[in-house]
Amino acid sequence: MNKELEHQFVKELENNQNIVHKVCSLYTNNRDAHNDLFQEITIQLWKAYPKFRGDSKFSTWMYRVALNTAITLYRKSKKRVRTQDYDAVIFKIKADEYDDTQEQQLKLMYNAIRQLGDIEKALVFLYLEDKNYTEIAETLGISEVNARVKMNRVKNKLRTILNP
Amino acid sequence: MMDELELLKKDWQKQGEHLPKLSYDDIYKMIWKKSSSLVKWIFYVCIAEFLFWIIISVLPINSNEITGRGANFMKITDWILQIVFFLVIIYFGYQFYQNYRKISVTDSAGELMKKIIRTRKTVMQYVWFNVGLFALTMVVVLLEVLVFDPPKELMERISTADSALLAWLLVGIFFAVSIAFFGLLFWLFYRLIYGIFLKRLNDNYRELKRLEV
Repeated sequence: MNKELEHQFVKELENNQNIVHKVCSLYTNNRDAHNDLFQEITIQLWKAYPKFRGDSKFSTWMYRVALNTAITLYRKSKKRVRTQDYDAVIFKIKADEYDDTQEQQLKLMYNAIRQLGDIEKALVFLYLEDKNYTEIAETLGISEVNARVKMNRVKNKLRTILNP
Repeated sequence: MMDELELLKKDWQKQGEHLPKLSYDDIYKMIWKKSSSLVKWIFYVCIAEFLFWIIISVLPINSNEITGRGANFMKITDWILQIVFFLVIIYFGYQFYQNYRKISVTDSAGELMKKIIRTRKTVMQYVWFNVGLFALTMVVVLLEVLVFDPPKELMERISTADSALLAWLLVGIFFAVSIAFFGLLFWLFYRLIYGIFLKRLNDNYRELKRLEV
């Protein structure tokens, strides 16, 4: 296949890999699974890349493919570990940045998010990434109103978990 | 106190430095790895199902050439079933291919799920058609055998039995139960595949659909 296309793609993904890592961290709970999902997303991105015309930003396009892979296409590998031994590849919170209460709160929050359903996770993810409702609605394939309603519900759910 | 969600958002957006960092070469190697996506699995399962039924239909189930009164009738029935069968395979194969081709990872999540479910549904219809046809073929063959070429031993047993009607009834029940048994077996077999592969997808799709109401 076209060498230049390869190079272009790998370069783009290298620069934007944080998005994929964040999705992986939300949908898996150990490092093996994280790498596994990262690989599958990469393959899916690469397969779809020839059709990417650049009418949207590379990163915007990535959100969609990454989430679709995590929610729908990804088949967990057999060697997956069932326990939550994910000692925060990602959600590492620096103690000196926050006071104890805040740190505690964040930990609880990340734990709460892990317990959400696949679709709810996607909503929270897009919210945390500061996406607007139009983009959220388009990524998930629901109306903007519904995205708003659902998002509020998820937010309330998280708040309830935090403040029982 | 700051809203927890705002705090979370703030933290989320500066987590960059804690994220794993893959090199250009790492990523380059990945693009040549094989995908193990759900769609690929479904594709393989569907192809296997198509082949399975084609092989079943080609296998000679009854190798004894039946001669006598019913031979012609049987041959014609057989031919008709075969032609119907292959026409239907072509139809389903085409539908399956069309559905499969339309699946695209760049669709919205809802659209993607809908297309996968539709692809799978086509093949399930094909499977049901085959199970039905299989049952029908069994019934036809049984009737043919009983009417045109009844086994002597069975007929003797029946004629020496106390009640011929009861004996026939038992034969009937026996056949009905065996057909039902095969049907159940197939049903379980396909439910299993369907369940394993599509449970998560169906759940997510339903959740998304619930939003639309």
